[in-house]
Amino acid sequence: MSQPTPEVYEQGKGMDAHNQVMRDIRSRKEKSYDPHQPTRVWLDEDNTPDGVKRSLTIILNTGGCRWARAGGCTMCGYVAESVDGGSVPHEALMDQIDVCLEHEAANADEPAPLIKIYTSGSFLDEREVGADSRRAIAETFGDRERIVLESLPDFVDREKLTDFTQYGLQTDVAVGLETATDRVRRDCVNKYFEFEDFEAACADAAAVDGAGVKAYLLMKPPFLTESEAIEDMVESVERCLAVEGCHTVSMNPCNVQRYTMVDELYFNGGYRPPWLWSVADVLERTADVDGIVVSDPVGHGTDRGAHNCGECDDLVQKAIKDFDLRQDPTVFEQVDCECKATWKVVLEHETGYNQPLTR
Amino acid sequence: MTEYFEVHERDGAARLGELRLETPRTTPALVGDLLEDSGSRWSADREMPTGDESALTVLPHRGFPGGTAEPVRESFAVDYPDVAFPSVAVVSSAGPANHGTDAYVVSDVQSVVGHGAALVEAVVRLREAIPSDTALIFSGVATPRNVALLAYAGVDAFDATRATVKGTQGKYLTTESEHFLEDLEELPCSCPACQGPREAFTRADCAEHNRNALAAELAVVRQRVRDGRIRDYIEGQARHDQWLTAAMRELDSQWSYLEERTPILREGDLDAATEDTLRRVEIQRFADRVTSRYRNRFDAPLVLVPCSARKPYSESQSHTQFHRAIQWRGHLVSMTSPIGVVPQELETTYPAQHYDTVVTGRWSADEKDFVARILERYLERNEYPYVVAHVPDEGYRDVVERVEAELDLDVTYTVDRDAHPTDDDSLGALSEALSGEPAYQKREREHNTVRALADYLLGDGAGDELFDSFQTTSRYPRLQVRESDETQLATMVPQYGTLSFTLEGARRWVESDAPTKRVQIDGFVPQGSVLAPGVVDADADIRVGDEVIVEGPRAFGIARAEMFGREMVESTRGVACEIRHVEEL
Repeated sequence: MSQPTPEVYEQGKGMDAHNQVMRDIRSRKEKSYDPHQPTRVWLDEDNTPDGVKRSLTIILNTGGCRWARAGGCTMCGYVAESVDGGSVPHEALMDQIDVCLEHEAANADEPAPLIKIYTSGSFLDEREVGADSRRAIAETFGDRERIVLESLPDFVDREKLTDFTQYGLQTDVAVGLETATDRVRRDCVNKYFEFEDFEAACADAAAVDGAGVKAYLLMKPPFLTESEAIEDMVESVERCLAVEGCHTVSMNPCNVQRYTMVDELYFNGGYRPPWLWSVADVLERTADVDGIVVSDPVGHGTDRGAHNCGECDDLVQKAIKDFDLRQDPTVFEQVDCECKATWKVVLEHETGYNQPLTR
Repeated sequence: MTEYFEVHERDGAARLGELRLETPRTTPALVGDLLEDSGSRWSADREMPTGDESALTVLPHRGFPGGTAEPVRESFAVDYPDVAFPSVAVVSSAGPANHGTDAYVVSDVQSVVGHGAALVEAVVRLREAIPSDTALIFSGVATPRNVALLAYAGVDAFDATRATVKGTQGKYLTTESEHFLEDLEELPCSCPACQGPREAFTRADCAEHNRNALAAELAVVRQRVRDGRIRDYIEGQARHDQWLTAAMRELDSQWSYLEERTPILREGDLDAATEDTLRRVEIQRFADRVTSRYRNRFDAPLVLVPCSARKPYSESQSHTQFHRAIQWRGHLVSMTSPIGVVPQELETTYPAQHYDTVVTGRWSADEKDFVARILERYLERNEYPYVVAHVPDEGYRDVVERVEAELDLDVTYTVDRDAHPTDDDSLGALSEALSGEPAYQKREREHNTVRALADYLLGDGAGDELFDSFQTTSRYPRLQVRESDETQLATMVPQYGTLSFTLEGARRWVESDAPTKRVQIDGFVPQGSVLAPGVVDADADIRVGDEVIVEGPRAFGIARAEMFGREMVESTRGVACEIRHVEEL
């Protein structure tokens, strides 16, 4: 496992700088949260290796990401949605699960076959979610078909996964890999693990019957141009799905969250979220790769989210959502707009010394 | 070392330069086709390019866009190696540094264009950090409307990327606006892209038009710089966008940046057509020199008169009539907006002889304040037995009355309300006001003119230090300054009101206590011009157009500065000064 103070001097220097700046930015946030309430909960539909399933998505409030307390990722503002004091006791976590179940009961006719639990950290990190809580949550959802658990790769081990698979639950670890390119993950995202750590986590998951890995990629971290971002994603999708145990990639455009380095750049005119055309382009170009590739552009069509010209955003977003469910790239042939010409000029001419070329 | 860029002419912060590539290019210009990007190190490790003289190679870089925090900029900074081909370093305007390359391109350019103060702060910081003889490149921001201001501020090169982007967005760019293509009933241009019928005009055509318009505007800019008239253009053109006007004004408050780069004389005229003219360096510098360097040496009373359109004033009809009435019994000082006050000895100096203003007779409050402030400072420094104001009502009289009250003077007014200074009655009153005063002699007039010019050009007290005893020959305004019949010291240059020294004059200057401007050179005897690499050191207060002493182990000479002092020291290319006279030691 690579650490924030590695042997390579240059690497440590950059990471120290990122962490210093991110700590400073985050310290400006004052809000704190009730540990008995989940951060968010909602019902949706998702594409899984077994087809499209109704889903219950839970953002569990676990006290937040440990890495973010050191500074953390340049685009991630979720850390701010953590509780005071930094850790949430078992009872409070179970209260949050109850709130989610009530939400589901109130808004859906039947229980969702797919459960997705995110923590803005690592669900499998026992400093965040203790073994007791993990086992209790596994039991709570043991009657469902599939569960997705967010975690950094270093906390993935067979025993923890077996807590879930023992109920016959298909268990996917959602790993925020962000990119397969170590350099970009380290210098642009400020994430401290490497692709080989992801490969190791996939191997651990693959060794457990009924477990797998869903890789989360970040399109266009700060400092990359639009075309660099696209190439980084195409290569990352291909490399992820080539790893045994990784069956799905969720490729998500970076959005501008408050209290992040990306927000500082955006505020000063130094960052533009990716074009929706770029998202569509990556999905189209990787459509024939073996595995599921989906994307959920958060805040699409807004200045802070992936966007095109304002005219075609909803249409392109709709095509992306359609692709998520059907994996059929011909849907992108049906959307066009005059702004595609602008996007092409951006791909051709945007550089490290003139970006962002458009707003 | 700058091998591949040379500055040929300067007009304030704007420069006419040359990219010395396989096919040379005169800047300010579009250079997008010449930039070879070796790539960003954010996304991948990059090999050092081989490069060649056909292109400007942007060395592998990590660009820091606007808003990148300082610790991140510092820890991720890349080293730029010395290379033997034309090279460009990527720098952030937030923390630029000299990397020894021929040119610099700016990573946070999108964050500084569009805001007057931010732009000026960025350009000044960049220009002060990188050597004078290197090119400053802005990529992705130039439009037909903003490029003149950017060049005026000191940016040398651009690309057409933004013009293309705007075209694809259906934005039709001109030097005065950004139009929605769909709103244009006719195309206000006749470039090749705009030749076809309006209905057939596409966004691709629009992009082509935008690039044409940008290229044409840059040609205008280059010609303006050649003519020394970029500022006059900017004062008008910048009105087409508020932030451009803001940037022009912000730059005016960067006095040391702009003053250092502004020549002390120009061949071209100076248009005084806007209120902003009052703040230009040439105007402020003249006011400063008249009130802190110049000293009146006549015993005669002061006669304040209005300026004339014809320059120098003494050649105008009105001033000819004033002279006839005054008969050298008073010291003539012309009042004028936007110059302030012009003592008769300085009427040929730059820009007193070179400005042309808009004559309506209406003075703005700013103009009155400006002239009143200068007149007041002038009168605090110079004593007169009494003051005669031979001025009309419009503005002039208000100014004089204000200063009269402020300094508790008793001014004699010789033009009646609603009368004109050239009316017979007025001229009669003027003559009457000076009755009994003796006329001063031509010799005194000419001597005082030479000394006043020395004050104005070289510094406070220089006229007395340098020209204690001398004689003048030839006719004003082409006076020759001599020590004796055989030895000439200097010649007055009537076009600019300057003094050109001879070697003897230069020697006298060096030996005097007058402030000198010196360029130290290596051990050679310069012929024609001194090139920048030969300059060992130069005084920081040297400005383009100044007379400078050239000294080295093997030579002593007098020259005219073609660069400002710091530029002579920093530059590795280009002409530092043109030798007038030199002797081998």
